[in-house]
Amino acid sequence: MKIKVTSVYVDDQDKALRFYTEVLGFAKKTDFSQGPYRWLTVASPEEPDGTELQLALNNNPAAKAYQQALFQQSQPAAMFFTDDVQADYERMKARGAEFTMPPKDVTGSKIAMLKDTCGNVIQVTQLMRW
Amino acid sequence: MINRAQYSPGPASGAQVRKDGEKWTLILVRELRHSPEKVWQALTDPAHLREWAPFDADGNLGTVGATVKLTTVGAPAPHVTETTVTRADAPEMLEYKWGGFDMRWKLEALGGGTRLTLWTNIGHRFIAMGAAGWHICFDVLDHLLGGTPMGRIVGPEAMKFGAWQRLNAEYARQFGIESPNWPPKPAQE
Repeated sequence: MKIKVTSVYVDDQDKALRFYTEVLGFAKKTDFSQGPYRWLTVASPEEPDGTELQLALNNNPAAKAYQQALFQQSQPAAMFFTDDVQADYERMKARGAEFTMPPKDVTGSKIAMLKDTCGNVIQVTQLMRW
Repeated sequence: MINRAQYSPGPASGAQVRKDGEKWTLILVRELRHSPEKVWQALTDPAHLREWAPFDADGNLGTVGATVKLTTVGAPAPHVTETTVTRADAPEMLEYKWGGFDMRWKLEALGGGTRLTLWTNIGHRFIAMGAAGWHICFDVLDHLLGGTPMGRIVGPEAMKFGAWQRLNAEYARQFGIESPNWPPKPAQE
């Protein structure tokens, strides 16, 4: 058994695909539909066969309430790891990303948070080495 | 379920695509040997829909203003969407939404039967797959109304069916588009 996919709820899958590829820099992995249901995932180009992130359409009222509450508390809906959070911050900012927290040292890591334009705050994390 | 093993759909036919800006519409026409009243019942009654349609309905779709939950059958995660019926002129016009898709049905008396037209918007990458799926659904509907039900063939049941893949390829050719193969391969972009 492996952890192969994890999900974030998004309010618009096309918009999410643009943000997660053009701004964050991930690559589309699987895009498949059955009727109005659309299975859409992205993966990191650094790890094309690594864990996928499903961009799941949020049409579930319970999930919407949960998502909005997390967003208002600035709780990240997903977390990604990088080797250089400052460089990623500059790169994403140049592509129009709106950060709710610029790179900041916290215990054990340096983190930054940004809005994904689809209802979520997401976090980029660089683990400290010592 | 008497004749499902022998079922072999005919060639792709009766479908068109229309593009308005970013919005693609699939238009399907099928002539059925049954009266508009019978076809109307099959389009609106949950017990009938369960025998042929790609979704289950928790209520009757035949009344304007009715709120009905539709469950996509065979989706990889539970997919339930709620719709309000916006038009129900029995037995002629029926409009509601299936998830993000507009569903517009027109029933025209034709001899003793019905010319059934469906307009539905669908992403262009999946429009040939949609046409193939509805083609099979309409065959199943025709058998159901003719008193020889086959049981519905939707979702994974349709996709593992060789004829669905042939229809997908035929419709893609007719529409002049590329359609994803089954099983899905990672997108190349």
